[in-house]
Amino acid sequence: MNALAHGASYGALIILTLLTTVAMGVWFERKFAGRMQSRLGPTMVGPVGLLQSVADVVKLLNKEDIIPRDADRGLFTLAPVLAALLSLGAAAVVPFSSTVVAADLDIGVIWVVALGGLTVIATFAAGWSSNNKFALLGAMRGIAQSVSYGVPLVLSVLVPVILAGTMSLSGIVAWQTRHHWFALWPVIPGLPALGLFFLAMLAESNRIPFDIPEAESELVAGVTTEYTGAKFVLFYMAEYVHTLVGSAVASVLFLGGWDGPIAPGLHWMVAKTLALFVAVYWVRWSLLRYRSDQLMALCWRRLTPLGVGLVLLASAWALFAPGGPA
Amino acid sequence: MAVTDPPERRALPVLAGAPAFDAPLYRTLLSAPGLSVLAGALDELLAWGSRNALWVFPMATSCCGIELMAAAASRVDLDRMGTIVRATPRQADVMVVAGTITVKMAPRVKALWEQMPEPRWCIAMGSCAISGDFYRNLYSVIPGIDTVIPVDVYVPGCPPNPEALMHGLLRLQEKIKATRAGTFAAPELNPALLTTTRPSIARVVDADRDPTQSDQQTASADHATASDKTDARPEGSPEPAAYEAVAPDASPARDFADLVRDEFGVTDIPAGMAPLVETAKHVALARRLRALGYKQLVYVVVSHYAAKTGARAAPERFELACAVRTVGEGSRVAAWRLALEPGEAVPTLVGVYAGADWQEREQYDLTGVRFAGHPDLRRIMMPEDWVGHPLRKDYAADTACPPWR
Amino acid sequence: MQTQSARRGRVDPHLSMRDYDPEADLMLLHFGPQHPSTHGVFRMDLHLDGEVVVKATPYLGYLHRAVEKLCERLTYVQQTPVVDKNDYVAPMTNEQALNMAFEKLLNVEVPRRARWVRTLFAELQRIASHLLWLGTFALDLGGALGGGSTLFIHTFRERELILDLFEEVTGARFHYNTHTLGGNRHDLPAGFDVKVKAALAEIEARLDGYETMTLHNSIFVARTRGVGVLDGELALELGITGPILRASGVDHDLRRDAPYGAYDELKVRVAVEQGGDCYARAKVRVAEMRDSIRLVREAIEGVPEGPLCGFKPIRLVGQVKATAGQVYVAIETPRGELGTFVIASPDNPTAPHRLKIRSPSLHALSAIPYIVPGATVSDAVAILGSLDPIMGEVDR
Repeated sequence: MNALAHGASYGALIILTLLTTVAMGVWFERKFAGRMQSRLGPTMVGPVGLLQSVADVVKLLNKEDIIPRDADRGLFTLAPVLAALLSLGAAAVVPFSSTVVAADLDIGVIWVVALGGLTVIATFAAGWSSNNKFALLGAMRGIAQSVSYGVPLVLSVLVPVILAGTMSLSGIVAWQTRHHWFALWPVIPGLPALGLFFLAMLAESNRIPFDIPEAESELVAGVTTEYTGAKFVLFYMAEYVHTLVGSAVASVLFLGGWDGPIAPGLHWMVAKTLALFVAVYWVRWSLLRYRSDQLMALCWRRLTPLGVGLVLLASAWALFAPGGPA
Repeated sequence: MAVTDPPERRALPVLAGAPAFDAPLYRTLLSAPGLSVLAGALDELLAWGSRNALWVFPMATSCCGIELMAAAASRVDLDRMGTIVRATPRQADVMVVAGTITVKMAPRVKALWEQMPEPRWCIAMGSCAISGDFYRNLYSVIPGIDTVIPVDVYVPGCPPNPEALMHGLLRLQEKIKATRAGTFAAPELNPALLTTTRPSIARVVDADRDPTQSDQQTASADHATASDKTDARPEGSPEPAAYEAVAPDASPARDFADLVRDEFGVTDIPAGMAPLVETAKHVALARRLRALGYKQLVYVVVSHYAAKTGARAAPERFELACAVRTVGEGSRVAAWRLALEPGEAVPTLVGVYAGADWQEREQYDLTGVRFAGHPDLRRIMMPEDWVGHPLRKDYAADTACPPWR
Repeated sequence: MQTQSARRGRVDPHLSMRDYDPEADLMLLHFGPQHPSTHGVFRMDLHLDGEVVVKATPYLGYLHRAVEKLCERLTYVQQTPVVDKNDYVAPMTNEQALNMAFEKLLNVEVPRRARWVRTLFAELQRIASHLLWLGTFALDLGGALGGGSTLFIHTFRERELILDLFEEVTGARFHYNTHTLGGNRHDLPAGFDVKVKAALAEIEARLDGYETMTLHNSIFVARTRGVGVLDGELALELGITGPILRASGVDHDLRRDAPYGAYDELKVRVAVEQGGDCYARAKVRVAEMRDSIRLVREAIEGVPEGPLCGFKPIRLVGQVKATAGQVYVAIETPRGELGTFVIASPDNPTAPHRLKIRSPSLHALSAIPYIVPGATVSDAVAILGSLDPIMGEVDR
């Protein structure tokens, strides 16, 4: 009972914080993109445009809810809800400090990877039920991409799991607090694994250069082509939450989570997460987009072998390194 | 000298009792007992949200589309007021019709408009979208987009500056605010204008559409209409003209005039005009020229001469002009003409120059001259079901394009 | 079914769908006329096998504005503002092509100063047009919510510099109506050369950055190299001109090969690439931008003094008359050979009997059924972008 209350209260807290962060994150992204493009971004709604995201959401909630005549009504409605639930659910196991965690599962790593991988079902449901060819093409691309990039994602996650010898996210951070961050040492499996995780995360959350399921210039709006108003808000939010949770998991796995000097742990965790979050934007607003077959080639020919190599190195390190993990 | 605003810019026309804006959330709240007191505050919130996040669907067909893009770029930056461009009509609030709308395009605009969710607005950007501009009375252009969909704000100009578009969006914000407050009414229209230039929109309404159904059920309109054939070649059309490999001619370059005189029997070449070649020798001449290094087809033009009576009486006739070009330094053009009787078919050049395909289709579409052996002789500019050939002299430029005129 | 075109080793654009494998389970995708990357209102019907295009059928005419018919009703001097709207990315080149044809038909002498000013404007227009192309091409490759839009907004910023120059001369951002029979309407304002040089210096400096973001960027190279390969022979046969033809290895540029304006005195360096793919087209256009910057610098130095228009200001639009003759005049616009074919007849001496505008974009688009099949949907977008079609002059 106690655990349930703890989970519910912290879960609500974390979800609220995430949603606020997403709203502010959208505003920040627009300002950030504006700066990169020598323009201003939102300035008129609220002070320095801060209320822009609020206005967007209010407006979208107020829009007519259209379900196309030939769409699969049930699935069409379920898909955005599923996308939002899955991305928020992954946040449950992420430890934001040694105490702020909704559910500290022993298999937190598996939970995060599994829920991240399950979002592909929402993508497919949306693409299939829309009865729109652009959405269908987007869904096909999304499935291929998510399934493929799940492999390097798991491989990169295995590195800290092997080194720390635990599948609990809190356990991994605790190990790093006692010893060292995995991104810093051992450098060879650690730092490339962070890079691999970051790339796979970009692909899983459909960010440029891997945003081919959406690809506005080719597929109009990809899987969300037929979605309006509130349902589109859910998709939009799910995408940002996915990125945010991914950044948080990357900080936990490789950058020591809440570990850091002087300031309280929660501050460090938030700082690391937001730094990675901004890095995603930075990449997004700088690069062009890959073609889907090039994306697959990159995954299977480069990233997967790299991941396998890193896992082998990590295992060797765990077995033979002097003073390595027990 | 103090400059004052013209009076009509100060406030929009006001008429009490205009219906308040309808919104699902708003309706739900009104119906819930005890919560209706919140409706006023909610109404304010919804109006605020609606006018501060105007996402644009760019119905950009021509020149104004470039200025629409410029408005999104750094000098004007529509994102300052929260306006971004969405490629799908489902997620847009404002359709900006930027450019000329033709008879062929208008049904698509209507279909896209129907796919946009309420509340939605339309801005007619530029004089073509407003009234058709100087294309207004031509056979293929509709006299303003407001004959197809309702327009909220007109942004005049040819094209309007990006700043003008931004101003149009700001005016739209004012209009949304006034509509919500119940203080907006549409300005009075000149009734005479309505009767002369606002025809019925029968043509652009989908025939399959059940008027009793709401947009929600029918909005997933397939944006191709029945007249758009997906199959390129019509039934029963001939096989493509046989292509014969043309070996380059090694003989020294000859003057084009000498060539047509010696080999194609043209005796009289009027000054400043291309030589008149027999229709039967058209393809042979093209093939010969291609062998001589005239590798590029420049144009195929058919002109129509209406029958004349009186002192300079002449029967109706057509004339085809054709030109090819050599490539590289000192590029030369060889041009010739064919005289055609009405109804006479011209042998196609597709077998010699692949580029003749669309050129001949265009001439067929606009003048009605048929090209024998053309593999795909369909209309290219006008809709498939169009009647008449616009570039004939007896086709009036302002021929009615139903239902607009 | 083996058709004649197939024997040429080419895709047969006229192959009916009945001749495709009925078991193939192809999907028909209507691409356009309203789509974020159709560059206007162009429509392709793509038959897809998975994501690979099996057959591409283009449809035109969604912007057919009856310009040629309209021109038959207007007098020779009235037509300039009408053709402005054809190639709306480089409007001044339309005016130039039309008025040069009328000048030849009516035997009007153009003063040397006007020829130089026209050349100067044409080259500025070429820079502006290619900048816009680079931005929209990046938009096609990178999307409106990503790096593509970053490049797009940056190139638009530079394009604004050139539009400012034009605005200073003519008072309009585009649709200038500045060329007229026998010369130009608007003379260069005082201090124009200083402003031109300042703008060019800025553009040239930033062009390096854009080249890094595109031609030297591995994603850009991966997306464009080997995509949409068009061989020179087919390009010639289709009547394709301009940067697309030069990217296919054909050394042909009307500015050098059939000089007009001041090009007999200004030497154009023609950029030729052998690849024939989207990458080669991008490379040719970037090289052309650099060469145009050089040409503008030379032209602004060399503009001679003298009258700007050989004709007296025309007050009565019916004054200019031609009763006979057929004239074809072509110029090299940013998109290729833009020609004007005019037939005069005694029936109506103040207006052309028939006016045909030979637009380069129409010919460029005719390559689509040949080069799109075999590519993916993403490639189709890249190929369409690299052809740089302007629907205003395609449909007219």
